[in-house]
Amino acid sequence: MSNGKDFEEKERERKIRRRAFYLTFTSALLVLGGFLIWKLSGLILPIIVGALLAFVFRPVKERFRIRWLPHELQVLCSFAAIGLVLFFAFNTLRKHIPDEKQKLEFKVRLKYKLNEKYLQLVTKSPEGKSNTLAPLIEKQLGPLMDKVNQALTLNPEERDLFLKYAAGYNGKPPIENKFVQYFWANRKTGKYVIPERPPADGASHTTPAAPAPSQPSAEEGESLESKLSAWMLAPLIFIFLGFDNGQIRRFFIGLVPNRYFELSLTVLDRLDDAIGRYLRGTLTECFLVGLTLILGLILLGIPAGIAVAIGVVSGLLNAIPFVGTIIALVIGVGYALIAENIRPLIPGLNPNDLALYVVILVVITHVIDDVVFQPLVLGSAVNVHPLVVVIAIIGGSLMMGLWGMLFAIPAVVVVKTIVATFFKELKAYRII
Amino acid sequence: MSAPKFAAEKLLWEMLGRWKRSTPELDRIQFLKTVPFFDRLSNRQLKSVSDIMFERTYDVDESIFEEGQPGAVLFLILEGKVAIEMRRETSTTRLAALEKGAFFGEMALIDDTPRSANARALEPTRTLALYRNDLNELVHRDAKTACQIYRSLAGTIADRLRLTNELVQTRTPADTALLA
Repeated sequence: MSNGKDFEEKERERKIRRRAFYLTFTSALLVLGGFLIWKLSGLILPIIVGALLAFVFRPVKERFRIRWLPHELQVLCSFAAIGLVLFFAFNTLRKHIPDEKQKLEFKVRLKYKLNEKYLQLVTKSPEGKSNTLAPLIEKQLGPLMDKVNQALTLNPEERDLFLKYAAGYNGKPPIENKFVQYFWANRKTGKYVIPERPPADGASHTTPAAPAPSQPSAEEGESLESKLSAWMLAPLIFIFLGFDNGQIRRFFIGLVPNRYFELSLTVLDRLDDAIGRYLRGTLTECFLVGLTLILGLILLGIPAGIAVAIGVVSGLLNAIPFVGTIIALVIGVGYALIAENIRPLIPGLNPNDLALYVVILVVITHVIDDVVFQPLVLGSAVNVHPLVVVIAIIGGSLMMGLWGMLFAIPAVVVVKTIVATFFKELKAYRII
Repeated sequence: MSAPKFAAEKLLWEMLGRWKRSTPELDRIQFLKTVPFFDRLSNRQLKSVSDIMFERTYDVDESIFEEGQPGAVLFLILEGKVAIEMRRETSTTRLAALEKGAFFGEMALIDDTPRSANARALEPTRTLALYRNDLNELVHRDAKTACQIYRSLAGTIADRLRLTNELVQTRTPADTALLA
């Protein structure tokens, strides 16, 4: 009898010791985790990107699984297939990336066309009718145009290079005469807003010293190097997670106490399902938006190569709610302003109003995305209130810039799923 | 299956797989072979089932699951002894005491309906757990293996239904009065 009591006593002591150990161990782990996250914050983003890529890749790996082939060999074959696809995609894309000559030409054309359109807006019509909105437009857009002109003005080196290319340089054909004329016309462009003179109070104003021309310092170089080496982690994480055959999940589930075993399996599964549905849905949605834009731009008469480039960039950026549409608008209208010799495939369209048609196309695409693509593809995968979406995007951009904006919604989806599933399952398993 | 595929599976990968496998993994496969639930599966199929199973260890008197909790996992006893019990307000009825090679909680492989009884370790116990959604995924990866497991599951449920029917038929009026 006393032996039984001793055993019970020992077991109780053991339970207390075990609880104290778990508590200390978890606290130490949390502190260490927090410290590492704080110190290695630069590595978080590459790790997340690598992990998300592996997550998106997983269904492809599962879909093309060959039963009689070892897992490692299958993953290697999948990587080889992905590598080939990426190689051909980059090769195709490289042809559309503008070279030095095209970049200079683009800047000159954009500056000329923007100023031409601006002057059309603010000057009197040939019939002599006064444009009542002109002063307002001039007041609002003038400073902006000055800033744009400043950004698009070629520096002396670029000017020399442009003139060399204009005559034929580096084995490239000479630049079209029309664009050379644009270049000379651009040189005559002055400022639209005359800066107010400082009050002549006689006091001598010491103008602040002009900032020294920025030169990449050794620190900046080092930071770029460390950033690059941190980003090397993304493909590594992708490869290692690609090879994973459920071992990582098994390891973490192995650490979970027996009481929470079934609960943790269920929660992990729901989380995996929610993120997977969101990521795959978003990718499909981006693809459909990009495709709609490409078709629309081709119908408007924009060359297929340019239409594909604009469609791909806008489609990919569509992953960021609101921002994607704005960027699509900026790129599309930017090109429409400089485009020349456009022949729309839809009869009755005036090529001079191409920018307006692009705006209409982007708006229609956005509406189709909201009304058809999102409900069809995403369904209830992202059942998040629009206000939460806006706050999350702004918060994300404040914390991590563009990446923060991109990952804001997946983060909200993860938190929402964890909170919803966790509490429901904790109650179902009678833990709370 | 075509002849080259068959040859590849039977000769090459089986040989490589055996060489690659660790001793605990081989032990686990050997154990699974002895369980009636998996007796129709080949070594390769047992390996893919073993790969998705979780090993859990329970202390004496530790609860494995409780009545009313949503079921998600089938348990196989690798070592030890487990009691299946029903607790009522005043008493606890032991329905069965299961030993090495037995399995319980198989209804969880079908859906997440609440567990109908408690499972408690009677001595230090090691179990293998098969999660419902992992088995569902196996349907896409290796339909033949998953199909055979579901067939065994259907067989088990049919046996238990038959047993229950026999019990109902052999029930005396006194039993009915007692239950009422």
